[in-house]
Amino acid sequence: MLQDILTDKKALFADGAHTELRGQNNRTRRAVLLNGALMGNVRSDVSGVSARVYEGGVYGFSAMAEYTGEAAEMVLKAATENAAFMNKHAGIGKPALPKMALKQMPTQEDIKDAEQKLYVDFAREADAYITKKYPNLVSRTIVAMEDSMEKLIVTSDGASGHILAPRSYMYVVLTAQTDAGTPVELFQAFGGSGVFGDNFADPTKLHAEIDDLYEKLMQKREGVYADAGEKTVILDGMMSGMLSHEAVGHTVEADLVLGGSVAGPCLNKRVASDLVTLTDFAHTAFGEKCPLPVYIDDEGTEAVDSPLIVNGMLTGYMNSRESAQHFGMTPQGNARAWLFQDEPLIRMRNTSIHPGKDKLEDMIASVDDGYYLIQSNNGQADTTGEFMFGVTMGYEIKNGKLGKALLDTTISGVAFEMLKTVDMVSDKVVWVSSGMCGKKQPMPVGMGGPALRCKVKIGGR
Amino acid sequence: MDRMKELAREILAEAKAKGAEYAQCSVSEGEKKEFNVDGGRFSLMRSLFNRNVTITLLKDQKKGTVAINKFDIETVKNAVSDAIAAAESGQPDEAWEYAKEPVEKEFTDGAPECDTDKLFMRTKELLDSIKEKHPTILMEQMITEHNSGTEVFMNSNGVNYVTNYGAYTFSLMYSAHEGEKSTSFYGSDITLKTLDKPVLECGKIDWEISMVEKQLDPISLEGKFNGPVILAPMALYEIVLSTIMGNFVGDACMIDGTSIWKDKLGEQVADPRFNMSSEPYNDDVVVPNRHTAEGYETENFDLIRDGKLNSFCLSQYAANKTGNKRSGNTGRNIHVAAGEKTLEEIISGIDKGLLVMRFSGGQPAASGEYSGVAKNSFLIENGKISKAISETMISGCVPEMLMSIRDISKDIANDGNNSLPFIAFDGITISGK
Repeated sequence: MLQDILTDKKALFADGAHTELRGQNNRTRRAVLLNGALMGNVRSDVSGVSARVYEGGVYGFSAMAEYTGEAAEMVLKAATENAAFMNKHAGIGKPALPKMALKQMPTQEDIKDAEQKLYVDFAREADAYITKKYPNLVSRTIVAMEDSMEKLIVTSDGASGHILAPRSYMYVVLTAQTDAGTPVELFQAFGGSGVFGDNFADPTKLHAEIDDLYEKLMQKREGVYADAGEKTVILDGMMSGMLSHEAVGHTVEADLVLGGSVAGPCLNKRVASDLVTLTDFAHTAFGEKCPLPVYIDDEGTEAVDSPLIVNGMLTGYMNSRESAQHFGMTPQGNARAWLFQDEPLIRMRNTSIHPGKDKLEDMIASVDDGYYLIQSNNGQADTTGEFMFGVTMGYEIKNGKLGKALLDTTISGVAFEMLKTVDMVSDKVVWVSSGMCGKKQPMPVGMGGPALRCKVKIGGR
Repeated sequence: MDRMKELAREILAEAKAKGAEYAQCSVSEGEKKEFNVDGGRFSLMRSLFNRNVTITLLKDQKKGTVAINKFDIETVKNAVSDAIAAAESGQPDEAWEYAKEPVEKEFTDGAPECDTDKLFMRTKELLDSIKEKHPTILMEQMITEHNSGTEVFMNSNGVNYVTNYGAYTFSLMYSAHEGEKSTSFYGSDITLKTLDKPVLECGKIDWEISMVEKQLDPISLEGKFNGPVILAPMALYEIVLSTIMGNFVGDACMIDGTSIWKDKLGEQVADPRFNMSSEPYNDDVVVPNRHTAEGYETENFDLIRDGKLNSFCLSQYAANKTGNKRSGNTGRNIHVAAGEKTLEEIISGIDKGLLVMRFSGGQPAASGEYSGVAKNSFLIENGKISKAISETMISGCVPEMLMSIRDISKDIANDGNNSLPFIAFDGITISGK
């Protein structure tokens, strides 16, 4: 656990300038089995200290791969010099950031560090189960991993705190072949917030989920191409989570709004049907702990929820302290950095559309000719709100009933147009948290949502 | 650097003392100077002082790897112990094999020294000149940086490389705006050895920005048709080249047997005009990757020559696993040979098709089938670029595309890492609303 060598350095903070000092350790544990061969068996620990100083509307930042008092002083000095350089050559004379009340957040529980054998053995057990039960597969990849961020944050105003955020997953990728010899792949991640040993105490508990994955793969093996064009679809929870994050969430990050995103002129306007309410949750959603809870951000802002769309109306952006000042909004704890050497950026935390009242089975029954789309392997969105998601698992819907599985395809649309077509929302929320959001730096995020009935464009033949 | 060499020797000695039959380590130290522009104005200056140590060892032919960013001997010795423990938790694999021939070399590439003032000046000049020449362009984000450092790589077989490197990189993300109209964002990147001339004159940045400016009034295509599509260099990389590397010739797909090219060495997999190579020592590459992760000195090699699969792109481990040869490097710095026509000549031969500048799509299937959105793209009609398009999807299959090459441009885009032409492919499915 990082020892607090930073609080004493507050005496060195420049008068009148907002200053952040952050010590951080990122830990990764990973075992990768490819067809039984241990391809990856890696442990990584990266730590250091960084400082950021705000002066005249510009920031200076510096970081060093040491976590010592001397390193803290050096990065404070370098960040202050960088801020002065920027202010001299490109400063815009902005006033200081609004002051926030000093607050000390409680230190969280230490992260237990397991031996590498735990990851390797767990991956091997899962691999052995698959090999024995499903010998006809072309290939199988098993990844057992844990990553964690530990941060000690000291700011010139606002909150200071010591936070620890571990998450751990098992990734299972299965590949079969069609009768024509074409490979067909399906992937599933299991796990969430917490250390590996807590999430995966018993290997046999994964067996039912692996069986389900295999069954879906066999359906996909017999799958058909989607018919390209605009269709009525049911987006299952993972897909609506992707929609919340990629297609809406990024466009309402205030830095992207300043960069010209479509959300700029849409504030306080209708962007979705009135069935759609969307929030970036800090740590608690719908009465339960979020998949990746955030209690304080790296600017010292205590994390609270960011309501983004309420009953179809765009109500807010996600902000840093600086962008909140620009837009006259309140910062809500969205500024986060990935490694010690990274500056805080505006990031989502746990983004989800709120559940509605419909039952999934009724939603499927309501579609004459469309698709039920369940799983995605990636998604991208434009600042215009145009989005694209890869679809790796889905089914035809014919006359209200599920039909054949789909081969890999892609859906696309324009978020604020497509959300207006949402006319049914299921009553259950599904969360995922195993991926990384990419935006200059990677960042673990949670995304979730209920199933949605809507219209999107689907790729295919 | 002497300190880093000494540390590397201590790591190897410690690994041997703790029972490793083989060990290697990469000890590196680097600096970054970076300027950020957000929303069209300067926002940040960032300076980093970094260190990395990566230790890989074999014990009883079991592999363990540990990465840290500390140089103090106690932390490093603990890392060696962790690597030993990681190896012991694994299983023996005879395929692990590393460079055996003793060698001692030192390389210096790119621009190891940063001229910070000039980097700022060129950044400001670039921002100002884009504002002046392309007034509708809003720079959503621009990151300009100089990365430099030294890496010491040693293994217990006597391999010893010292690499000194440095390069300037400019990464731009921008869109055009006029009133409430806006285009999709587009990214331009270039890596440079010197800052001798304005960055807007380097690579294809100016051309790319001017093309984005023309996308403010896109049309939506109706219906679906099959037609020719010209992939600009970035889209070519995203759709075709990354699929070749990831799905057909790389380590993972060859080891797991999902590569549909695994038995096609020497066979025709593309049009005879298609030549693709990995060339770290191409003159256009600013900082070549000097050695592989297994300690072999890199060399250029042809992946596809005259349309025939000449080589896979394999590490020694994957080569041993699959019974193939290790390739000259692990696939960076892709070069695709130029064709004979200008882009204008290629466009002039198309009655109805697309020029695709960027692609936003799902990961291609193992078969090479893909679909996604044609971004920042144009409709070609009657041999001319007619209109920008929006909400248009394209889909196809990479192996089929490679056999359906219509034209390859003689114009090559070089970004300091890869050098790629425009390529026109027939038979792509294009679907609008």
